[in-house]
Amino acid sequence: MLKMTHLSKVYRTEVVETYALRDFNIDVKEGEFVAVTGPSGSGKTTFLTIAGLLETFTGGEYHLDGVEVSHLNDNARSKIRNEKIGFIFQAFNLIPDLNVFDNVEVPLRYRGMKAAERKKRIMESLERVGLASRAKHYPAELSGGQQQRVAIARALAGSPRLLLADEPTGNLDTQMARSVMELLEEIHREGATIVMVTHDPELAARAQRNVHVIDGQVVDLAEDPRFHAHVAQVADATHGR
Amino acid sequence: MQIQPILAALKRHKAGTFLIALQIALTLAIVCNALFIIQQRVERISRSTGMIETDLMAIQNMWVGLSDENASEPLIKADLQVLRQLPGVQDALATNSYPLRGGGWSTGVRLNPEMKKPAAQTTQYFVDDHALATMGAKLIAGRNFRPDEVVAIDPKKFQFSPTVMVTKALSDKLFPGSSALGKQIYLSDGTPPSTVVGIVERLQVPWKGGFADNFEANSTLLPVQLTGNFTTYLIRSKPGQLASVLKAAPEALFKANRMRVLPSERGVRSFAMVRQDAYKSDRGMAILMGIICVVLLGITAAGIVGLTSFWVGQRRKQIGVRRALGATKNDILTYFLTENLLIGLGGVLVGALLAMGMNLWLMKQFEMARLSPLYVITGVIVLLLLGQGSVLAPAMRAARVPPVEATRSV
Amino acid sequence: MFAYYFQLGLRSLRRNPILTALMVMAIGFGVAASMTTYAVFRATSNNPIPEKSSQLFAVQIDNWGPEDTKNGEPSSSLSYTDVIGLMAAHKARRQTAMYPVGPSVIPADAHLLPFNVNSYAVYGDAFPMFDIPFLYGSGWGAAEDDGHAAVVVIARAINDKLFNGANSVGREINIDGRNYRITGVMDSWNPQPLFFDPVNTSGFDDPVDLFIPFTRAIELKMGTAGNNNCNKNSGDGWDAWLHSECIWAQYWVEASSKADADAYLRSLQGYAAEQQRAGRFRWPPNVRLRNVQEWLEFQKVVPPESKISLLVALAFLLICLVNTVGLLLAKFMRRAAEIGVRRALGASRREIYGQFLIEAGTVGLAGGLLGLLLTGLGVVGVSWVFDPKVARLATLDASLVALTLLVAVLATVMAAFYPTWRAAQVQPAWQLKSN
Repeated sequence: MLKMTHLSKVYRTEVVETYALRDFNIDVKEGEFVAVTGPSGSGKTTFLTIAGLLETFTGGEYHLDGVEVSHLNDNARSKIRNEKIGFIFQAFNLIPDLNVFDNVEVPLRYRGMKAAERKKRIMESLERVGLASRAKHYPAELSGGQQQRVAIARALAGSPRLLLADEPTGNLDTQMARSVMELLEEIHREGATIVMVTHDPELAARAQRNVHVIDGQVVDLAEDPRFHAHVAQVADATHGR
Repeated sequence: MQIQPILAALKRHKAGTFLIALQIALTLAIVCNALFIIQQRVERISRSTGMIETDLMAIQNMWVGLSDENASEPLIKADLQVLRQLPGVQDALATNSYPLRGGGWSTGVRLNPEMKKPAAQTTQYFVDDHALATMGAKLIAGRNFRPDEVVAIDPKKFQFSPTVMVTKALSDKLFPGSSALGKQIYLSDGTPPSTVVGIVERLQVPWKGGFADNFEANSTLLPVQLTGNFTTYLIRSKPGQLASVLKAAPEALFKANRMRVLPSERGVRSFAMVRQDAYKSDRGMAILMGIICVVLLGITAAGIVGLTSFWVGQRRKQIGVRRALGATKNDILTYFLTENLLIGLGGVLVGALLAMGMNLWLMKQFEMARLSPLYVITGVIVLLLLGQGSVLAPAMRAARVPPVEATRSV
Repeated sequence: MFAYYFQLGLRSLRRNPILTALMVMAIGFGVAASMTTYAVFRATSNNPIPEKSSQLFAVQIDNWGPEDTKNGEPSSSLSYTDVIGLMAAHKARRQTAMYPVGPSVIPADAHLLPFNVNSYAVYGDAFPMFDIPFLYGSGWGAAEDDGHAAVVVIARAINDKLFNGANSVGREINIDGRNYRITGVMDSWNPQPLFFDPVNTSGFDDPVDLFIPFTRAIELKMGTAGNNNCNKNSGDGWDAWLHSECIWAQYWVEASSKADADAYLRSLQGYAAEQQRAGRFRWPPNVRLRNVQEWLEFQKVVPPESKISLLVALAFLLICLVNTVGLLLAKFMRRAAEIGVRRALGASRREIYGQFLIEAGTVGLAGGLLGLLLTGLGVVGVSWVFDPKVARLATLDASLVALTLLVAVLATVMAAFYPTWRAAQVQPAWQLKSN
C-alpha cells in the first residue's frame, strides 16, 4: 500500500542543509495498522506529510498503492489525496466557517459527487462517529473529542484506502482519547490501512506494528542504542506530566 | 527604535508594504489635485461682482413684433418709468448685460488707432445715469454720466461713445501707475476715441471664468441705451422689499405692454439666483472633489487598518516573544507606528511626484494652473498623519498581546 | 462547483463583516463614481445621428486670414457672403446654410402671452439631410427657398400647445406679428449633442421648436440669436453688416460617399481660390470639411468638467481596487489554515483559484449592488456639477446597470488575482506543521 525506499527529504537554507529524512525505508501492507513513533524532531511528521502527498521529497522512491508518486504534478497529487487518503490531524483542522455537515462535505465536493450521494455519505459517516445530530453545529460549538470525531468522519466520508493520523489524541484528554482510539481500531477492523504518528507508547502499543524513527531514519528497535536512550527520555517526559 | 529590523521585517511583507505605499501615493496625487481644484473653484465663487447684491434683481426681456430695431426705444423708456415708479423699487436700469449674466459684449481697447494688438480686453455695459445707483457700484474718481449724455442707438449701428466710465482694473491695465481718468481710449477700430470721465472701483464682466479669467474685472460703461429686440433690466428694491418686487415688476411690465416675452427660464431672477446659477457647476465641482477627497482618505485609512490588523494577527506569537524578552507595550506600539511611518514616507515620496505629474498633465489638457507646492506639503502631512492615526488601533491591539502568547502553539 | 464556490463566497462575506463591509464600500464608491461620471461622458460624447454621421459635413472657410485666426484654423462660423456663395454654387447632393433666430410666437388667443421659440433659419434640404421625422406634412422645397416664402415647420410641442395636437398643416401661425403657413409638424426630434450648432449652444440645449426659410429670415432682417463675431467694424446698418466679414452662419453639406466628400472639398478649395483671385482673400485657400463626429470633437462639446471628473473617478476606482487587493490579501491569508486543510483534502490549485476568485466575485457583486444604488443617487445628483442641459442626459438605463455590475465584478476579480495566487501557493503541509 505504502512503500518508501531510500527516501530523503532535505531542507535547504542559505547556510545549512538539514536532512529531515535520510535513507528512509518503510513498507506498509494493505490493511495494516502501523504506529510511527519517535522523539520530537525525529522526522515522523515529515514522513507523514510526504506519505500524504502534502509535501514533495528530495530523493528515493515512494510507491503509493503501486504508483510511483514523485513525478506526479500538483493536480494528480490533489486527486490522490482526495480519493485515496484520509487525514486526521492533531489539531482537528476543521474549517471554522463551515458547520459539521459542510466540513465533512469538503472532500466529497472536490470529487464532484452528486448532492444526494454526498448527503448519504456524510450522514453515514457522521452516524458512524455518533454525531449525526450535530450536523448543523459549528466546530466552535463542539468539544475537542467531538471535533476530532468530525475530523474522522470527514476522513472516512470519501472511503479512503489509507488513513493518516498525526497525534490524533494529542489535543484530547484521556477519556476522549480512548474513545477516538477505539473508533480507529474499529475502522481498522473494517479493512482500512492506518498509519498513525504518535509519541505516546500506550497508543502505539495498540497498533499492529510499531515503526520507530530517529534522526530521520527508521531504526531497528532491538539493535539501536539510541532507542534505549529515547525510551528513558519518554519515560521521564511521561512522569513529568 | 531601530529602523534596520523594521525594514528587514517589511521585506518579508513585500506585497502588503507595496500595496499600502501605492495606495498612499495614489491618494496623495488625487487629493492634492482635488484640493487644488476646490481652491480654484472656491476662489472663483468668492470673487466680488463689485455690486451690492442684496435687494437686486434682473429681468430678461424680449420684444415681440417690433417693426424695426429702433422701435424698442420708446418701449424701454416707458418700461423704465413703470419700474422706477413701482412701490418698493429704489432704482432701475436698462442694460445689455450685467456681471455673471453669462453673455454680453466684449471688445479690445487700444490707446491709439495705430496699435496692432489691443492693450486690454474689456466688456461693454450699455447703461444710463442710473447704473451706479442701481448696481451699487462705487465711483472712486471722476463723475457719473449725466442724463443728457445718454443716447439710444440701434445695436447694429453702434459705433462709439464720446464718454465712458471704466473700472479701476481696466484703468490700471491700460495706464499702469497712473489713472485713465480724462484720458482717451479707442473701443473699436476706425472710430473716434472715447474720453474716460469716471473710474469705478470694481465691476465684474458677465462671464465667470474660462476665457474671461484674464479680464474678469475689465469693464467699460457707456452712456448708451441699446434698442433692438433684447433688453435686460436690473432693479434695486428698497431694503427688504425684494420679494414683493420680484412678483410686482413682471406683472407691471406685462400690464404696460403685452408684446414681450420674459423667458420662463432665467426670465426673472433675484441676484442671489443669478449668482447661484452662475456658480452652480463650480460649487458642484468643489463639493464633488470634496466628497471624493473624504471618501478616498476614508478608504485609504480603512485599507491601512485592515492590512495592519492582519499583520498584527499574523505576528501575535512574534510579538509575544518580544514581550517575553522584555519589550514594553510602548516598544511594540512604537514598532508599528515606525513601520507605518516608513511605508508612508515611501508612499508620499512617490505620491508627491505623481501629484505634480498629474497636475502637469491637467495643465496641458484643461488649462489648469500650476499646483502650488503648499498643497503637496499639506497632502503629505495629512496622509502621514492619516497613516499614523489608522495604525494606532491595530498597534494598540498588538501592544496588548500578553507575553504568554510566546508559549502558545498556534 | 460554481454554485458551491458562490455559496462559500456568500458565507465568507458574512464572516469578517467589517473587512467585507470595507471592501464592498470601497468597490461600491469607486464603481459609482466612475459610472456616474461615465454616464455624463457617454451622453456628451454620444453620436447624435449615427446612421448619417459620416455623410454630413460642416464647412469652414477662412475669410479672416492668418492675422485673425488661431493656429491657422479657420473660424467655426461663416460669413453671409460665403454661405450664399456656396448655396449658389450648389455643388453637394444636399446643402443648407443655417443660423439660430429667436422669434416669438403670438398665440391667436389674446389671453395667452407671446412666447419665445428656439428656432433656426435653414434651407429645405435640411429636413432630409438631418433625418428630421415628421408627424404631419413635410418640410418645404426649393421653390419656397427661392421665393422667400412665409412657411414654417413647427415642433410637436408647439403644435400641441397651439393646436391641441391636431394636424395643423396648411394653417397659419403668427410669428413676430406676421403670418406663416405651416408645411409640417416635426415628430419628437432632439439629437444630443446638437451637432448642427455646437457653436452657439455648446452642444446641449432644448430641442428646436421651429424652422423658417433662411431666405425669408434674411429678407425680414432677423439677426442671429447666436454669436456674431467680427474682425473689424462692420459699418453702419443691416446691409453693411450682412455683407461684412462678420461670421455668424453655419454651412452643412451631405455627401453619400468618400469620393463625393473629396470632390466637395476640392470644390470648396476652388471656391476659396476664386475668392483669392477676386482679391477678397489675400491668402491661399484655407478650408475644412469635417463630418459630424470630427466636428463635435473639434468643437470640444464634451465639457472639460466631464473629462476631469471621469478621470478623477477612474483614478478613484483604481485606488479603491488597490485597497481591495490589500484587504482581499488579508482576508484570504487569514484563512491560510482553511486553505491548507482544503488542499490536504484533495483540492487542487485550480480549485483554490476557483473558490477564491468566485468569492472575490461575490464581493464584487455586493459592491456592484451598492454601486448601483450610489450610481442612481449620483445620476440624480449630477445636476449639481453639470449644466442641467447636460445633466438631464445622464440616465441610469439598462446598459448602465449592466455595466455597473460588470465593472464591479470584473474589477474585483482582477484585484483578486494576486491574493488568490498567494492563497493557491499555501502549502498543505505547511499548515499541518505549524499545528
